[in-house]
Amino acid sequence: MSSEIKVWIIAEKPQGTAELIAGAKNFTDNVTALVIGPQERAEQAVRLGAGKVYWLGEAGPGMMWEDYTDTILSLLQQENPALMLVHATKRGKLLAGRLAANLGTTVLTDVMELTWEVDRFKATRRVYGGSAVRQERALTGTTIATVGSGVFTPLPEEAGRTGTIIEVPFVEPKIRIKLVEKKKRETVSVNLPAAKRIVCVGRGLARQEDLGLVEELARLLEAEMACTRPIAEGLNWMPRERYIGVSGAMVKPDLYLALGVSGQIQHMVGANQSRTIAAVNTDKAAPIFNQADYGIVGDLKKIVPALIARFKAE
Amino acid sequence: MVINNIAENTKKLGAKQTRGETRMNIIACYKIVPDEKDIQVRSDRSISIDKAEWVIGQYDLNAVEAAMQIYEAVGGKVTALSVGDRQLENSKLKKGVLSRGPQELFLVIDEALSGADTNLTARALAAAARKIGFDLIICGEGSQDLYSQQVGIQLGQILNVPTLNAVSRIVAENGKLIVERSLEDEVEVLEVSLPAVISVTTDINQPRIASMKDILAAGKKPVTQWSLADVGLNDANRRTEILYTLAPEQAERKRIILEGESEEVLDKFYELLRKAI
Ligand SMILES: Cc1cc2nc3c(=O)[nH]c(=O)nc-3n(C[C@H](O)[C@H](O)[C@H](O)COP(=O)(O)OP(=O)(O)OC[C@H]3O[C@@H](n4cnc5c(N)ncnc54)[C@H](O)[C@@H]3O)c2cc1C
Repeated sequence: MSSEIKVWIIAEKPQGTAELIAGAKNFTDNVTALVIGPQERAEQAVRLGAGKVYWLGEAGPGMMWEDYTDTILSLLQQENPALMLVHATKRGKLLAGRLAANLGTTVLTDVMELTWEVDRFKATRRVYGGSAVRQERALTGTTIATVGSGVFTPLPEEAGRTGTIIEVPFVEPKIRIKLVEKKKRETVSVNLPAAKRIVCVGRGLARQEDLGLVEELARLLEAEMACTRPIAEGLNWMPRERYIGVSGAMVKPDLYLALGVSGQIQHMVGANQSRTIAAVNTDKAAPIFNQADYGIVGDLKKIVPALIARFKAE
Repeated sequence: MVINNIAENTKKLGAKQTRGETRMNIIACYKIVPDEKDIQVRSDRSISIDKAEWVIGQYDLNAVEAAMQIYEAVGGKVTALSVGDRQLENSKLKKGVLSRGPQELFLVIDEALSGADTNLTARALAAAARKIGFDLIICGEGSQDLYSQQVGIQLGQILNVPTLNAVSRIVAENGKLIVERSLEDEVEVLEVSLPAVISVTTDINQPRIASMKDILAAGKKPVTQWSLADVGLNDANRRTEILYTLAPEQAERKRIILEGESEEVLDKFYELLRKAI
């Protein structure tokens, strides 16, 4: 650890702030958290380990979170931290990209692992849908990196930690986008990474009505329901929180049972840590069979009821 | 083409009502990528894309479709744009994008763009877009190969215009856009002035399937090819350096695959599942 390297972090949500502060503390004692929100969040960032907090204030009703981009940019330009960690939400990605473009640099995205060597940060990420892992390093002054949830584990809050909170005046954005309205979106809370058994449906499920059948099997197996991305995004038959893959949840159950899933790499990279992979697919040549322990070539509409009958008879 | 006839009519209507003010010059950006199914892993876990077929990024088709739908509503023009190395010269891929509707294609082809990072890609696109001229640029959510979800954002900032990601609905009206932006737990409705750069979600639309007629017509559409020098980009330096790219270790799987739907086969599959839980 060194106190010379300056690492900054920013996240929309308190959980993100907690994780990124913990991540930054792997490299330095010199952690600065940028906080947008009530003052209490700035104080919490100190308890989580930030030595300094730039408190940007609370976004007013007509404001977007990203309206703070110019404010943050001017801070970055004054202080040139070695690293700026941004929590990889949609807003975080927009902020990171705009900052990077202004600084003439790039963004290291969806970082899985970060190391500091000599004078540079190195980051690993998945590429080609998860077929490979790539390590890269930024060659410019401030490295900007986005990190998703779960990469770093938050430190416990400690009331004894001290730090300075500095209020930062708002810099009027050069480019404004008008916020007309905000609508809440329904989200479900499901912890797929913790599931012991998972039944996953893909586009082989021809009709949404057939979901009921699969749900019955999942209940009998005491399994969580999951799906491929097109089932959640596009068909909208299941919530987004339930899709597995490179851009969704990464799971590692004892049993992962795939029904009508072709087994594209973008999906399988999220499931291939499972202890046992079983698959039902009508296509003998479906890639999933190369990555499965047990498979059956057949129609899920016949096989699922047959399995339900057998598990019920137990 | 039916699509064009409808568009022509809408265009005339729109032009009459507002003296042409609502018509838009739209650029749809796309990237071609090696099909990940064809990626080969060598014994040292390094990978080879030498044998891979190149395809248009799955999610970029949503950008092209979004551009076409705006064009069909308000008139104007849709231009497709891509930057990269010589793989872009592939005529099947040129037809592939033009058959989905755009009237014209611009390509910036330069070996310096081979495997470019998001910063260089965005700067090359910006240079080309300035030369082409635009009211709106639409990008996909992310490229199929690297999926950084950054190019559209950086492009907008480099061009110094409003830029948004995660746009799931676009309505063009009176020379501006009303868009919906789908975030993790809320949807924002935003008013965006033009020119602007927007990255759309994967479920904003269902990209159209090109007919044989569309593909034939695509071969006759104008294609302009530029180099980096042609678009005036002198600094082709990267902001990142790749240190390694390696395939992860794969768990060995048993691969016991049963065939048929007979009672015996179903009994066996059930037994295998039972043992796994
Ligand atoms: C950048 C990027 C990121 C992506 N991220 C993800 C991700 O995180 N997660 C994800 O899942 N996808 C992701 N995808 C999409 C991915 O590439 C695939 O398109 C997707 O996983 C395929 O979903 P599927 O298996 O449900 O559908 P399909 O590929 O259409 O497969 C359906 C399967 O069902 C079988 N089938 C049909 N009828 C039956 C029946 N009656 N009984 C049994 N089987 C049947 C078919 O043989 C076929 O194999 C991503 C794509 C890109 C470009």
